[in-house]
Amino acid sequence: MKTWQVSVQLDNVKKTFGDKVALSIDNFKIEGGEILGLVGNNGAGKTTMFRILLDLLKADLGEARIDNILTSESEDWKAFTGAYLDSGFLIDYLTPEEYFAFVGKVNGLNKDDIDTRLKRFQDLMNGEVMGQDKLIRNLSAGNKQKVGIIAAMLHNPQLIILDEPFNFLDPSSQLAIKYILEEYNKETGATILVSSHNLSHTLEICTRVALLEHGEIIKDMRKGETDINAELEQYFESSLHHETQNV
Amino acid sequence: MTFKEKVFLYKLLNRNRTLAEKRHPMFDKNKAMKIFTFIFIGFWACYLMFFGFLFPNVLKDESEEAYDIINGGFLVFFIIDFLTRFGLQETPAQIIKPYKLLPIPENYLHSVFLIRIGLGGYNLFWFFFFVPFGLLSIALAPFYNFLNLVGYLLGVWLMFVVSGYWYLFWRTLINHHTLYILCPLGVYAALLFFGMIDGQWCYDALQWLLRGCITWNPINFGIIVIAVLIMFYINRIFQKKFVYMEIAKVEKIKKVKSREMAYLNKFGDVGEYLKLEIKSILRNKVVKKQFTSGLICTLMLCSLFAFTDAYDGQEFMRSFICVYCFACLGVITLTSVMGPEGNYIDGLMSRKESVLSLLKAKYYFICIMMIIPICFCVMPILQNKMTVMEALGCMLFSAGCIFPFVFQLAVYNSTTINLNEKMTKGTSNSKAQILVSLAALFVPMAIMYVLTIAFNTFYAGMIMSILGTIGVVLHPMWLKNIYSRFMKRRYENMAGFRATR
Repeated sequence: MKTWQVSVQLDNVKKTFGDKVALSIDNFKIEGGEILGLVGNNGAGKTTMFRILLDLLKADLGEARIDNILTSESEDWKAFTGAYLDSGFLIDYLTPEEYFAFVGKVNGLNKDDIDTRLKRFQDLMNGEVMGQDKLIRNLSAGNKQKVGIIAAMLHNPQLIILDEPFNFLDPSSQLAIKYILEEYNKETGATILVSSHNLSHTLEICTRVALLEHGEIIKDMRKGETDINAELEQYFESSLHHETQNV
Repeated sequence: MTFKEKVFLYKLLNRNRTLAEKRHPMFDKNKAMKIFTFIFIGFWACYLMFFGFLFPNVLKDESEEAYDIINGGFLVFFIIDFLTRFGLQETPAQIIKPYKLLPIPENYLHSVFLIRIGLGGYNLFWFFFFVPFGLLSIALAPFYNFLNLVGYLLGVWLMFVVSGYWYLFWRTLINHHTLYILCPLGVYAALLFFGMIDGQWCYDALQWLLRGCITWNPINFGIIVIAVLIMFYINRIFQKKFVYMEIAKVEKIKKVKSREMAYLNKFGDVGEYLKLEIKSILRNKVVKKQFTSGLICTLMLCSLFAFTDAYDGQEFMRSFICVYCFACLGVITLTSVMGPEGNYIDGLMSRKESVLSLLKAKYYFICIMMIIPICFCVMPILQNKMTVMEALGCMLFSAGCIFPFVFQLAVYNSTTINLNEKMTKGTSNSKAQILVSLAALFVPMAIMYVLTIAFNTFYAGMIMSILGTIGVVLHPMWLKNIYSRFMKRRYENMAGFRATR
């Protein structure tokens, strides 16, 4: 099932909101097939980075590339990219079945393909998403999150970008997502970018972890090269002490 | 609580409500809407003042004094006031939630919001009518003076305070169940019939009550004040009860069966977006309301033309109805094009050219909808009220010229429409939307009128058909152009959509 591997690159990207620097990355490249975890406190710039990558936000400076395609100049990267950042990706007046059919069809899949691919997510859906006769807007936050993640992965993208995918989910569903992402990466060699506040899940699935603070990547750690867990614990503890002292 | 504390809390809560009204998303980021609202209020104020000055003169030859006639018919003001309060006045049960857990006595909290309603500016709005009316008919009357006018206005104001509380009582119940609307309407209908038309007692009672206010009769004032207090206490008890219902309110979730609409599958991506368009109309209150208004407007205009002879021989009105029959549904629904999509714009933008397919689907859908005026046009064509060429001209001109013009708003609209916002909260229109919809409705009518006057209905229809056909044939090009311009403004628009979600 492995096709080609998609790399992601940010060059000299800067974004400010008023006086606040939301993102400032000199050079950052994610190689094809990597699972990158983005961690950092609230407002560190994780979502901003994803938005710029997905051309949902204009960078003040610099370029974002997916598979060497400048995301702000061409739409070709969209065919092999799947993303879910928040409920702004969901068409909430559809039922999950209708939404999956819509996403599948605009990605060139037929009904049988869609049904087959949805089977992969049966554990995650846990009987709470399909067949409920409910519109997406009437689902719980957790189930909306599941619909968004499944839709992002339905067309077997070579690049997956998920913003805090473990949010709102019960522990079983969190484990299911973790398992699905790991398996998918192994099977397809897809590049996966995940931001999360859940350090243990992030560390378990990611081959590389980037730590963001005030829009800058202050640590870029690869599994096996460094004790990521210890580094992150030390960072977040010192950041807490720093905040407490400021108070 | 000491008196000082009470005053402090009143000021604080009052300030919070003022800020909530000021910062309502409908006005906060929309200067055009603000100006439009002020113009609208100004228009009505002038209108009321006009009648205020007019009525004393019109009624001066009647057997009764002008103020007696107006006072006797005060029920009509009550009814209009009641109806216009919908959409303007929230119930305290809706706004009290954030204060519920604060250490403020609940009775006091309810009292504050009720007093606010009593002292609200809306109760004074009718003064635009009653001040000039009272000035001419009371203050300048030989047997009354300025003090009598003050008494009259005070009485009128207290009557509208009663009306405000009366509305509040029923509005709270209507929020609970819509059918409660029948109760106040029933009361008004009964009072109108039995108290005004079939008998005079309601007319006489209101006349007596307000005449007493003119002469500062304490009994009359006492009666109105007692009515205010009774309504105040009933509302306080009632609001306290209903605030719990409001807090515990759970949205009833309707079961919805998935619809495949397989007949649209053969149209590829556009077919998928056509399905979205249809489902959006069927399942979202605001979109449905917009579509239904357009449809009702179309049906009304078509019926006017088909079943009445009201505008036979009036060329200008004929042009007006002819064009509107075909264009109004499109203009009403397309004015806010992309607004509903603002809710899921990120999802659309993460798929290649999905906005282009969406625009195509919207265009095809609105063109298909023209089948309704086409059907209705058969009757006036058979009756020789309209020629086939005229109907064809209006249809093609709408599809090929008016709709492409309104579609330009897809490039500039950047305000998300909350798909299920309560009907009373309304949606805001930007300056561009107001201008484009006005131009879309008036310019084509003027063109048709001028062409008809310059040539005749046949040639007017033919020229409009040719212009329209060019627009229809070129639709892939102008839609692509709109899409390219939309993509150039995408960051600005997406930021706008996110900010107004």
